[in-house]
Amino acid sequence: MPATHMKELLSPFLDGALSGREHDEVQRHVEGCAECRAHLESLRRTAESVRSLDPVKVPEGFQAQVRARLSAADTTAPRRWLPRWSWPVAAAAAAVLLVGVFSANLLREMRPVGQVAPEDFRAEPAVPRPSDVQAPSLPAPAGPQALPPVVDVRKIVRTAELALDVDRFDEVAARLLQTAERAGGYVAESAYAEDGGVPQGTFTLRVPAARFAAVTAEVEGLGTVTHRRIGGQDVTEEFVDLQARIRNLERHEQRLLSFMDRATKVSDLLAIEEQLARVRGEIEQLTGRLRFLERSADLASIAVMVRQKVKTTSGVWDFSGTIGKMRAAFLATVRQILSGVEWLGVTASALAPVLLLAAGFWLVIRLRRRARTSEIR
Amino acid sequence: MGVTVDEGTLLAASRRGDLTAYDELVGAYQDRVYQLTYRVTGNPEDAWDAAQEAFVKAFRALKAFRGDAAFSTWLHRIAVNAALDIIRRRPPALDPLDAAAAVTTESVDRMVEQRELQRAIHRAIASLPPDQRVAVVLRDVQGFSYGEIAAVLQVPVGTVRSRLSRARDALRHALADLSPARAHSDEQSEWR
Repeated sequence: MPATHMKELLSPFLDGALSGREHDEVQRHVEGCAECRAHLESLRRTAESVRSLDPVKVPEGFQAQVRARLSAADTTAPRRWLPRWSWPVAAAAAAVLLVGVFSANLLREMRPVGQVAPEDFRAEPAVPRPSDVQAPSLPAPAGPQALPPVVDVRKIVRTAELALDVDRFDEVAARLLQTAERAGGYVAESAYAEDGGVPQGTFTLRVPAARFAAVTAEVEGLGTVTHRRIGGQDVTEEFVDLQARIRNLERHEQRLLSFMDRATKVSDLLAIEEQLARVRGEIEQLTGRLRFLERSADLASIAVMVRQKVKTTSGVWDFSGTIGKMRAAFLATVRQILSGVEWLGVTASALAPVLLLAAGFWLVIRLRRRARTSEIR
Repeated sequence: MGVTVDEGTLLAASRRGDLTAYDELVGAYQDRVYQLTYRVTGNPEDAWDAAQEAFVKAFRALKAFRGDAAFSTWLHRIAVNAALDIIRRRPPALDPLDAAAAVTTESVDRMVEQRELQRAIHRAIASLPPDQRVAVVLRDVQGFSYGEIAAVLQVPVGTVRSRLSRARDALRHALADLSPARAHSDEQSEWR
């Protein structure tokens, strides 16, 4: 059947994909055969229909997802063995490991100031440390800018609540404002009242988390501390969880949008729109919470309740104030001494196992060396 | 198409594991790859997954890619395989016969709309057997030559030719129902 044979060739003929001889043959056949001519025309229309399809664009977020998937897999990729295994290498590795363990322990003891020892750990921006330890710089208590890279993604919401008795309310109020501004923060809220001629007020300072400890210390220096509560809430987990949920929802949103492009029935469109509104609402809600967490972690909050001291005696010499100052100075010194002692204790206990192991290593190496030299002899 | 001046440079960097360079390649090819997986799988979810799979696989296999074919051809091969893989794994959502029936029962009024026509063509393609579907998408959607299709699918040109021929014949029947006037004249000429 020559006609069927020709029909098989019509499609490639249409594309100009036949060899010269075949092409001519089909050409000649089509000219004489109406059926094949009609068939060819119908094929041409079919191909044209398919070619008339609108170009498809990939939904938003595609490229980002490819990248995310690849970089997630990438971190597990490189693996290399030590070129040579020798005693010095082993000793160095052990030393690095031990110093790492040591500093990790030290960090864990020192980091959450407000929780571990709220009374004794007066905010001291820089804790002295032995120079022989090659550890990453110790964090200033509660200061993320000084934290080593391992923990720099942690999101911690820091809060302090202080009650101060002060000599001159107005002056302290002004100083609080200055302190907040100098630290790169601001006074978020201030309330002021006069109770029986005694002015008192509440101020909420928002300062960058890195400056939390320094500002808290500075504020405490403005008067006599009568109440003090420092808190740190680790919200990293919630933060990461929120991010993941938002990502999923956004992908869902993209898919709904692409469904919408294809939907033609009004009922379908309405259903998709409804879903879309729900998903977007959820995204907004989660994003809001995420922003709140981020902001809370970036800006620590220090609430200060300030009360002017009641002057019981209005003589030339205000002894009550003097005693208060003396007490404060005395306590401050005692606190500093106590914190120094505690720091020494913590450092020593973290260092003890390291020293023991190092001594062990030293002994082993000495013994081996002695054995080797006696062998040579 | 899609070949940028420094594609070679980007490829070399990507082969060394440079994610930023590869990111650019993804940006350059994502629409074309997605278009392919969309027309082959027939729906946006599977298309997304297949295209994702293709780009991730391509990055990992890039070290083995020695440039004996064009990158575009090689990428298309991976994408076609990813799409076919997804089709194979999933139970057929639309029975081909149902799809054809659905097209014919659509009201004539709506047929006039370009959008509906597009849907009909899309569904007609989706109702083809996978082999033919891939052939027709590569030829008439992606605009590849017979030689390039043969390279993508790693089959002889003759096979491409016959798959395409059968695909178009099937499409011709499916789409003939869309425009009764044309189909009628077609039928007449064939009956003669």
